Amino acid sequence: MKKILSVFLVPVFALLFSLNAKSESLTLGWAAWDPANALQELSKEFTAETGVEMNFEFVPWPNFAERMLNELNNQGKTFDLLIGDSQWIGQGAEYGHYVKLNDFFDANGISMDDFNPATVYAYSTWPKGSPNYYALPAMGDALAWAYRKDWFDRPELQAEFKGKHGYDLGVPKTWDELYDMCTFFQGREIDGQVRYGAAINTERGSEGITMGVTAAMYAWGMQYENPDKAYDMDGYFNSDASVEAVEFYRKMYEDCAPPGHSDAYMVANLDAYKSGQVAFQMNWYAFWPGVSKEDSDGRVSGFFANPCQNVCAATLGGQGISVVKYSDKQDLALEYMKWFAKPDIQQKWWDLGGYSCHMDVLGSPDFVDSAVYAQGFLDSMGIVKDFWQEPTFVELMLPMQERIHDYVVNGKGSAKDALDKIIDDWTEVFEDDGKI
Amino acid sequence: MKSAVKKFKGLSDKAIAWIFIAPTLILLLAINIYPLIYAIRMSFTNFYANKIGREVKFVGLKNYKKILGKEEIWEKMQITAHFVCWTLVIQALIGLGLALLLNKKFKGNELLTTLIVLPMMLSPAVVGVFWTYLYNPQVGLFNYVINFFYDFGIFDMIGSSTLAPWSIVIVDTWMWTPFTMLICLAGLRSIPNYLYEAAEVDRASKWQQFIHITLPSVLPFLLLALLFRGIENFKMFDLVAELTSGGPGSATELASINLKREAFEKWKTGYSSAFAVILFVTIFGFGNVYVKVMNKIKDR
Repeated sequence: MKKILSVFLVPVFALLFSLNAKSESLTLGWAAWDPANALQELSKEFTAETGVEMNFEFVPWPNFAERMLNELNNQGKTFDLLIGDSQWIGQGAEYGHYVKLNDFFDANGISMDDFNPATVYAYSTWPKGSPNYYALPAMGDALAWAYRKDWFDRPELQAEFKGKHGYDLGVPKTWDELYDMCTFFQGREIDGQVRYGAAINTERGSEGITMGVTAAMYAWGMQYENPDKAYDMDGYFNSDASVEAVEFYRKMYEDCAPPGHSDAYMVANLDAYKSGQVAFQMNWYAFWPGVSKEDSDGRVSGFFANPCQNVCAATLGGQGISVVKYSDKQDLALEYMKWFAKPDIQQKWWDLGGYSCHMDVLGSPDFVDSAVYAQGFLDSMGIVKDFWQEPTFVELMLPMQERIHDYVVNGKGSAKDALDKIIDDWTEVFEDDGKI
Repeated sequence: MKSAVKKFKGLSDKAIAWIFIAPTLILLLAINIYPLIYAIRMSFTNFYANKIGREVKFVGLKNYKKILGKEEIWEKMQITAHFVCWTLVIQALIGLGLALLLNKKFKGNELLTTLIVLPMMLSPAVVGVFWTYLYNPQVGLFNYVINFFYDFGIFDMIGSSTLAPWSIVIVDTWMWTPFTMLICLAGLRSIPNYLYEAAEVDRASKWQQFIHITLPSVLPFLLLALLFRGIENFKMFDLVAELTSGGPGSATELASINLKREAFEKWKTGYSSAFAVILFVTIFGFGNVYVKVMNKIKDR
């Protein structure tokens, strides 16, 4: 009997003991993409150091905002840590979803001066630019471009392009040059296959086309509002320059995009590029380590920051890491953040494919040579601009998605009409929110 | 135990009936009636589910006035009406045609029925994703097949505002025509053979037999199938959300997709409750009128 008991009881106790030993755990939520895998890898070191098990829930991009914001709005306890989009910071702070981190930073000697100022402004502060921190800059990112360097280097194509346009085929300095190059490749047969110009953002459902069109609008000098009068948008957001930028983006879609590229964002752009359909793809820096690593079959990728037009500017991506107010393990989550903020961990983060925002990493003399896209990343982070970060950002994003998609892809109405209507929609949202 | 049986035996028929009905009734009240009443109450407020701590104010009919006065809402209703009407017409014609075909006895009849019914068994979300590939202008089978018969060149079913509304009609027809077909087939098989025999004795042509026997007999079944499909398509969400996300622009943004965006992306709970109530009343009204017409046809 004793023998039988011991046979059954020993494994049971062993299991209970092991469960107890691993009872300290944290759950981190983020989008499902390459950097998330890098963070998972990096976090093994945290587990090794502290014994705290890290669980991850990575949600595909199309559902990321909806899933996470629902979780926050329902005051859910699923996540202890959340790497949320930059635009969520207003909502996270005002509705009390995120823990305010000032005291924690002070107590642990974490200084925001150690991080890239643009990322601190964009990912951490609310109200914008104030010294109230709700996140630690975790993943710097901006919208940029990859191109088929191997095609660009072909002498016959270079000669033909120069003959046609009078300047060299290379990294475009302006959107006009980008357009010339895109149309040059559109429908061209290379190595027996028909190729197209550029895979640009046209996605309707979440934020894709807005992120794409704003890359052009920022370069044309668009401002969301009167710098001297908040929420005064007429004449700024729908300025002549903005209208021109939106019209230009439509021209890019019509003359440069591959057939069927009418609802495309990150993955679709990557697919179009990797399958050899296009000469250019618009995408986030986060994907460049993967693209660079996967260059094969003669494909050589080059990368460059968003081209200038009237001004130099780029659409901001990226995220900060926040502690969720509804978590029962806030102290442990803060421990993770403290660990993550260490300069040596930040260096490892960059080495693994994450985009550190720490100045020790970005300012290191080896940084620019550490990856082919590193210089572009540095350039971009100096010129980034973000969409509204208001608590009502989803209400602001959706009408822009619809109006811009209706004009750019659907060809309905005019760019001016689309922008005017967006202002009407936004005014209603701000009025509803008591901001106007 | 004995006393329990005794007690149960002592219950009246009415009481026993209530015991059986009660669980369903409680579930119905909890899952359907209570949320409906709650939504109606919400529709008169300015409630936002994501704005914690914000004062909820009674706004009377403001949400209803706003919705009914919004040009865009009427556009969504038109898009929904286009989708519902065309799917019903096409599914009625093809469904009845297929049912007539499968009502004949021939080799492979059962296998063909099974194959035709297959799409209906798939998940709408899967069908939506699957058809985005079929519609792909570069590698999709749809373009290839169309161009095989006539060279239209590259066309984008999902990306064109003219074609996109038809793209969702085609997919819904592909998926749900078998449903209409099955119900019509049940109707056809319930027609007694002697009616046709009598008609033949009277020298009625095949066409006359179809008009005077088959069609009147199968019509109530067909109308029933169309009622189900009409209600379903008025609420259609998953398939279209996966296929076009309501795009390009808002070319395929059905009322239900717009409602979901207002309710769970913009979190305008009060406003979207009012919209949901309007949709509910619309579908309930249409449904009732339709059932009355259907009953009249049946009584004839």
